[in-house]
Amino acid sequence: MTATDPLLPLAGIRVANFGWVWAGPVVGQTLGFLGADVLKIESRARIDLTRMLPPFGGGVRDPDRSLSNHACWAGNGSVSLNLKHADGRRLARDLIARCDVVIENFGPGVMEDLELGWNDLRVVKPDLVMFSMPAAGLTGPLKDIRTYGLSLTSTTGLDSLVGYGDGAPIPVENAFSDPYNGIMGAFAILTALYHRDRTGQGQHIDYSQQEAVMQMVGPAFMDYALNGRSAGPLGNRHPRAAAAPHGVFPCTGEDRWIAIAVTGDDAWQALVDAMDRPAWATAPALTTLAGRLAALDALHRQLAAWTAPQDDYALAQRLQSAGIAATPVLNVADLLRDPHWRARGTFIEVAHPLGFEETIYGAYVKTSRSRIDVRPGPRIGQDNERVLKGLLGLDDDRYRALVEARAIY
Amino acid sequence: MVAGALHGISVLEIGEYVSAPYCAKLFADYGADVVKVEPPDGDPSRAWGPFPGDVPDREKSGTFFFLNTNKRGIMLDLTTARGRDLARALAADVDVVIENHRPGRMAAWGLDHQTLAAANPRLVMISITPFGQTGPYSDWLGTDLNAFHLSGASSRYCGRPGEAPLEHGTFAADFYGAVTGAAWGLAAVYGRARVGGGQHLDVSCAEAIAATFVGGQNIGGCAQDGKCERRTGVGMPLGAPATILPCKDGHVWMLALEPGQWNGLARVMGNPEWMTVDIFQDMYQRAQNADAIYPLLIEWTMQHGKREIMDRCQAEGVPVTAVFSIAEAAEHPHLAARGYLTEIEHPALGRVRDLGAPFKLPASPGGPTRPAPLLGEHTAAVLGERLGLDAAALAALEREGVVAKVRA
Repeated sequence: MTATDPLLPLAGIRVANFGWVWAGPVVGQTLGFLGADVLKIESRARIDLTRMLPPFGGGVRDPDRSLSNHACWAGNGSVSLNLKHADGRRLARDLIARCDVVIENFGPGVMEDLELGWNDLRVVKPDLVMFSMPAAGLTGPLKDIRTYGLSLTSTTGLDSLVGYGDGAPIPVENAFSDPYNGIMGAFAILTALYHRDRTGQGQHIDYSQQEAVMQMVGPAFMDYALNGRSAGPLGNRHPRAAAAPHGVFPCTGEDRWIAIAVTGDDAWQALVDAMDRPAWATAPALTTLAGRLAALDALHRQLAAWTAPQDDYALAQRLQSAGIAATPVLNVADLLRDPHWRARGTFIEVAHPLGFEETIYGAYVKTSRSRIDVRPGPRIGQDNERVLKGLLGLDDDRYRALVEARAIY
Repeated sequence: MVAGALHGISVLEIGEYVSAPYCAKLFADYGADVVKVEPPDGDPSRAWGPFPGDVPDREKSGTFFFLNTNKRGIMLDLTTARGRDLARALAADVDVVIENHRPGRMAAWGLDHQTLAAANPRLVMISITPFGQTGPYSDWLGTDLNAFHLSGASSRYCGRPGEAPLEHGTFAADFYGAVTGAAWGLAAVYGRARVGGGQHLDVSCAEAIAATFVGGQNIGGCAQDGKCERRTGVGMPLGAPATILPCKDGHVWMLALEPGQWNGLARVMGNPEWMTVDIFQDMYQRAQNADAIYPLLIEWTMQHGKREIMDRCQAEGVPVTAVFSIAEAAEHPHLAARGYLTEIEHPALGRVRDLGAPFKLPASPGGPTRPAPLLGEHTAAVLGERLGLDAAALAALEREGVVAKVRA
């Protein structure tokens, strides 16, 4: 991907991304996949946590070799500016004057402390789009709340829905909300860019991760709004009880499962036929959704006994031919060998300039006109000369002095 | 009144259930003019409820209401040639079409991108499906459940070992695909002049999650070292405490990993002696002794309420949060102070509370202000204004069964 590729819709848009860890990076990366020149603003004075997250390329522990860091910064550049240094901050402001967008995912007030708050930057670049994504927004009693990505969802009601049946909530073991917010954050920035192009006006987007994620519980919220009810953990049941059976059932082999969603009465009959019409399944009461919902626990137990000795992929194929929504439950290793994801090029191997091959995700949306070419994640400061000399016009002496002073660091 | 950020963008939604409707809602809530096409029976989510008092009524589905605010709705029977002609005519003049039908269906209707782009080269078409338009599973039947479990997310991150992998208890894959389609689709609209026209975006809900969520942190190591991990049922097995624990009135997300956080938690708990033991001073060692530590923490959490635990921990800089129910999340004073929740008047439901804008744009306010449309509510208005159909033409369409009785 190059910034001048005429077929990428965001070519010509420049982004300074102060984001770190995961959500902030994905905001910029989404714009980067689509052609924006995204620059990670970072420093060896305070290395991004995920640069130290194993595994490392070739097993060599080094902040330029963290594979998961590369995945969420793939295609982006890096400019290393020490923001504790006055000259580092000055360079950041000079750079932002030449950017369309600034992204950050610190807590409220951190950018202000760096003299890089909205009121500082709107002077530098009057039509700037600034995007801030603190956990619970820029204002309000919880604005300084401390959370991790994997627990932020607890404040939205979402975690209260995850678990087995009527049991306790089960924690999701990674921050589903981080890349979700990353992608939605890119949408938010694009709305503001559209507004800017139409009106000439920039703005500071107040993106509360809590509020954006809470949209995902919209249907459950409506049951509260209309009926005063709060649901509990649902297992794999249909969230609106509109399909039955609807769940994940065991198959043969270690940790092998199949997901089956019976969305209508015809599909139920097809499943009964596929099972060779066992007596338990042919009860007249089960011909309707209401009847199947009433007997759901027993139905799921019987279905699990039928699936248990079967191969997940073969059974999925067979049920699909019969008109039933059935799919194997894939694990991480399966993702790399599954024929569907291979055919779609979901994961790609790229050669890192430091001399190792790494597997990252590629263009996970297929675009009919734009050809998206994903490069590896950046080394710290790999774009310093291109940006600081080429774009900001620092001469060699000044550049060298700033490196020696560790303002560029 | 200030126009929404996407004022001037015209969207035609030919969608149902969750993914395409939520994608189109994001456009609508930020100012685009969105017309939703529904079949004579309506979007099937009209049958999903929740309904007030659990009395089914297709004009009172809470799910449909939430997903379709700020849109205008028309009814067209796309199984008729005339209905398809009208849909094509409408698509000739919009910026975006958003759809989530099974791959091949739009082509069978003559409403695929290739056909529509011939008349409207600037068209951006966003197709959102569980598995995508290409690949061996593209013609498989699938729902949100199938998409989520095909992404690797559940097997790796959600559920106890030995028990079934879990989904979130909402339409997590559909929402993920919707947001992905909105971001990539709006970029395609924004850059149309640069790239020389519109294009077709093929979004797979499962793929977006497999790539950005599971792939983001797992694929590199799995490919390089062959280490592909599985779910543990614990929030973060390598550090402790980092999991959901029960408390007096529910549950809390207990996190105290860094030394300052652990010490802060100790202060909140009244500095019990066991917390000062040497081997408990490091999050990794604490994880190795999780069987000893979690029961001691639970003994304390069970004596306190979730709000109290959250507030006291937060005051000490410890990132503990309450696991809020839907009601507790919705009623938290923080969201009221920010004006997140809103109220909308709906002809059948009356005054309804709704979740507000997912993000705040100070210069160009967004969020739902108009209710979801009644079935066919805007058929006459839209077909009149866009295609110049008069009352006689609309009456003919009613007779042909292309639209049901048109509302005045």
